[in-house]
Amino acid sequence: MTAEGTTEVPTPTAPAPAKVVVSRRGRRPNPRIAQMKRTWYFLRRNTLAMVGIVILVFFIGIAIYALTQPIPWTQLQQQCASAGINPPTPGSGCVCTYYAGSANPGPGCYQTPLNYPSEIAPTFDLSHGTLGPYPMGSLTVAPNNPVFYNIFTGLLRGADWSLGISVAIVGTGALIGLMVGAISGYFGGWVDEALMRIVDIFLSIPQILFVIIVIAVLVSIPVFQPFDARIALLVLGFVIVWWPFYARIVRGQVLVVREQKYVEAAKASGAGSGRLVIRHIIPNSVYPIFVQMSLDVGTIPLLLGTLVYLDFPIFSTIYFPEWGSMAALSVAGPNGVSTITDALLTCQFGSCVIPWWQFLFPGLALFLYAISVNFLADGLRDALDPRLRR
Amino acid sequence: MRMWIYIVRRLLLVIPIVVGVMTITFALVSALPVQDRLISAFGAPPKNAPGGYSPTIPCSDLNKSQNGTCPNPLYVRDTHKLGLDQPIFYQWGVYIGNALTFQWGYVDNHSGASQSFSQIQGQSVATVLGWFLPYTLELAILSLIIILIVSIPLGNLGAVYRNRPIDQASRVISFSGYALPGFLLGSFLLFAFVLALGPSVNWLDPTCKTETWYQFWVGSWPQQSCYTGEIWPTWLKNGFISSPTGFPTVDAMIHGQWWLAADSLLRIILPALVIAYGTIAGLLRFVRNSMLEVMNLDFVRTARAKGVPEKTVISRHAGRNSLNVTITVLGLTFAFFIGGFPVVETIFSLWGVGRMFVYALLSPYDYGLIFGSTLLFTFLVVFANIIVDVLYAYLDPRVRLG
Repeated sequence: MTAEGTTEVPTPTAPAPAKVVVSRRGRRPNPRIAQMKRTWYFLRRNTLAMVGIVILVFFIGIAIYALTQPIPWTQLQQQCASAGINPPTPGSGCVCTYYAGSANPGPGCYQTPLNYPSEIAPTFDLSHGTLGPYPMGSLTVAPNNPVFYNIFTGLLRGADWSLGISVAIVGTGALIGLMVGAISGYFGGWVDEALMRIVDIFLSIPQILFVIIVIAVLVSIPVFQPFDARIALLVLGFVIVWWPFYARIVRGQVLVVREQKYVEAAKASGAGSGRLVIRHIIPNSVYPIFVQMSLDVGTIPLLLGTLVYLDFPIFSTIYFPEWGSMAALSVAGPNGVSTITDALLTCQFGSCVIPWWQFLFPGLALFLYAISVNFLADGLRDALDPRLRR
Repeated sequence: MRMWIYIVRRLLLVIPIVVGVMTITFALVSALPVQDRLISAFGAPPKNAPGGYSPTIPCSDLNKSQNGTCPNPLYVRDTHKLGLDQPIFYQWGVYIGNALTFQWGYVDNHSGASQSFSQIQGQSVATVLGWFLPYTLELAILSLIIILIVSIPLGNLGAVYRNRPIDQASRVISFSGYALPGFLLGSFLLFAFVLALGPSVNWLDPTCKTETWYQFWVGSWPQQSCYTGEIWPTWLKNGFISSPTGFPTVDAMIHGQWWLAADSLLRIILPALVIAYGTIAGLLRFVRNSMLEVMNLDFVRTARAKGVPEKTVISRHAGRNSLNVTITVLGLTFAFFIGGFPVVETIFSLWGVGRMFVYALLSPYDYGLIFGSTLLFTFLVVFANIIVDVLYAYLDPRVRLG
C-alpha cells in the first residue's frame, strides 16, 4: 500500500520467519512453505485483514454447524408422517409445512406459494405484536402471502449455501483460468494471441448479463430441470463467465515466471513442457489469483442476490436459503410485489409499517461477509506484493 | 505515429471482438429450440397462419385434399431465411450479417415482456432499444461525471493525507462499495428519501402539484396526470418515446419546458449515485496508490526543490496522472459498470435498455429482446474502451508514439 519505492529500498527477506532453518535431515525447508509463512507473518500485522479473517471464520463455523442440523422440511415430513398426513409430493400443490395463516398452526399438508418445500422452516411465532401484519423475524416472498419464512433459520442454512456456491464457482473458474493462462503464457505466439483474444471477447460482455443469458438459454434443456441440476447450472453459468479474469491474471504472471533462471535450469536438465508448466510455472504463478479469488468469493452472493432481484425465474421453483437471495427477496421484485414496495406505497400516504427486519438481517449478513472477504483480500494483496509491504 | 493512424488501428482491432461476441450469442441462440429462434427473429407468427411455427400442420389447413400432415410453409420459409436448413457455418454467417446490420429480430407478442408492456408488441428489437438507449446514455453520462468528480479528488487527498481521517474515509467508501449490492443500496436510498420527505406532496416540481414524493423518485417522467389535459405532450409519445433527439433532458429543453428538463435530471440523480458508488469503490484504491507512487518520483521532487508551492505540485505535477489511472481502470471495469444498469433502472422504474432487459426476462422469455439488449450493452462496453484508449493516447504521448 505504501510506495516508498525510491526512498526506501524494501529488504529482500522478511525479518522473523525468513531465517533459513536447516531441518534435522539437513535439507532446506520447502521454499513454498517459507513463502506461506512469510505471507502469514505480514498478514498478521494487518489489523483489518485479521478482522476479516475472524468474521470469515465465524461464518464458516456457522456453515459447518448448519450442515450438521437436519433440514427443517425433513423434520416436518416425519411429523406429518407420524400424524398420518399424506406424504407430500413436491410440485403437486400440497406440501407438508406449517400454515402461517391460522392462529395455532400445526404441521400439515398445506399449499406453499411455490408448491415446493423450502429448506427453511416457516416461522412458528405468528404473534403480530404491534408492528403490523408481518410477524417479527420472518420473511415473506410476496405481500398478503400466508407463508412466512424464519429469517434466523434462513441465515443459518444460508451460510453453507452462500459459502458453498461461491467457493464452487470461484474454485472451478480459477482452475480453468489457471490452465488457460498457463498454456497461453508459456507457449506464447499464436496460441497466446488466440487465447487472449477469446478472453477479451468474454470480458467485454457485461458479466451479470452474460450469466443471465447463459442460464436463460441452458435452463430450457431438460437435463437442468431437477433442483440439484439447477444449482449445478447456476455454478456452470458463473464459471463460463468468470474464468477469463483468472486466465488473464495468471498469464501475466506466467510471462514473468517463465523467464526466471530456475525455469531455464529445469529446461536445461531436460524437463519437458508438461513438467515445466505443472511443477515449476503454475506453482509459482498462483499467488496473484488468490487475491482475485478472495474478492470474488465475496462478490458472488451479491450477484446471486442481483439475479433473484431481477426476478430471474431459475429460482422460482423453490425458496432458496442463500443470503444474497434472502436480501433480494426482502426488498423488491420488478413486478413490485414485495412487502417493502407494498409498505413504501402505503408510506406515501402517511401511516405504514416497515418490516425492517426483513432486509436488515439478511442484508447485514451479506454485507459483513462481503466486507470481511474484502479486508482479507486487501491484506493478502499487501502481503503477497513485496512492493506494497510496509 | 499520428493520432488518426492510432485511432484507425484501434478501430480495426474492434472487429474481431465484435464478431467474437456475436459468435458467443450465436452459440447460445443455437442451443434454443427452433421455434424460439424463429419467434425471436420474426416475432410471433401471424394470426392467420394455421399452426404458427410448428414444422408440420394438418394438410386440411392448407386446403389440400390429402389427409395427414404436410410441412408448414411458414416454417419452411422462415427456417430458410435464417439458414437453418444449411450447415452451421452458413447459419453463423447469416446471424453475423443480421446482427451487424441491426436486424436483431422482433418482440414476441406472447412473451412476458409484451404482456406487461404492451407498447412494444410487434416492434423490432432495434426500434425498441433505440427508444430507450438515450435514457440509459443520459444516466451513464451523469454517473460517469459523478465518478470523475468524486474519485479523482478523493483519491488524491487520500494519498496526500495518508492514514489520516480523510484517507480512512475513502477506504471505508471503497470497502463498503464492494460489499453493498446495488439492489440494497438503491432500495435503501429510495426508502430513506421517501420516508424522510414524508407523505407530503412534492414541492420541488411546480409542473406537477399532485405528485407525492414516491412518485417523484420513481419513473423517468412525471405522471401522466401532470400534463395539460392529462395527455402526454405530442413530443413525448406514449410517455416514453421522446423526440427529436430521444434524450429526455435535451428534448424537454428543445421544447422550452425548462422545469421538465430539470425534473428529468433530478430523477436520475439518485440512480446515478447508486451506480457511481459501486464504481468509485473500485477506482479509489488505484487512484490513491498511483498518486502515492508518483509523489515519490524525481520530477515531483524537482518541482518541490525549485520552490513550486505544494498545492501546485499536487494539482499540476502529480495530480495529472490520476486522470490517466482513473480512465484506464474505468475502461477495465466498464463491463461491471454497465451490469449495474438493469438493477438500478428497475429500482427507480426508469426507462432504459437495462429495464427492457429485465422485462425480457419475465416469463415466458423474450429471447430477441434478451439478446438484443445484451449485444447493445456489449457494444457500449467496446465503444467505451475505444474512447478510453484514444483518450489515454491523447493524455499520454508514449502510448501513441511507442
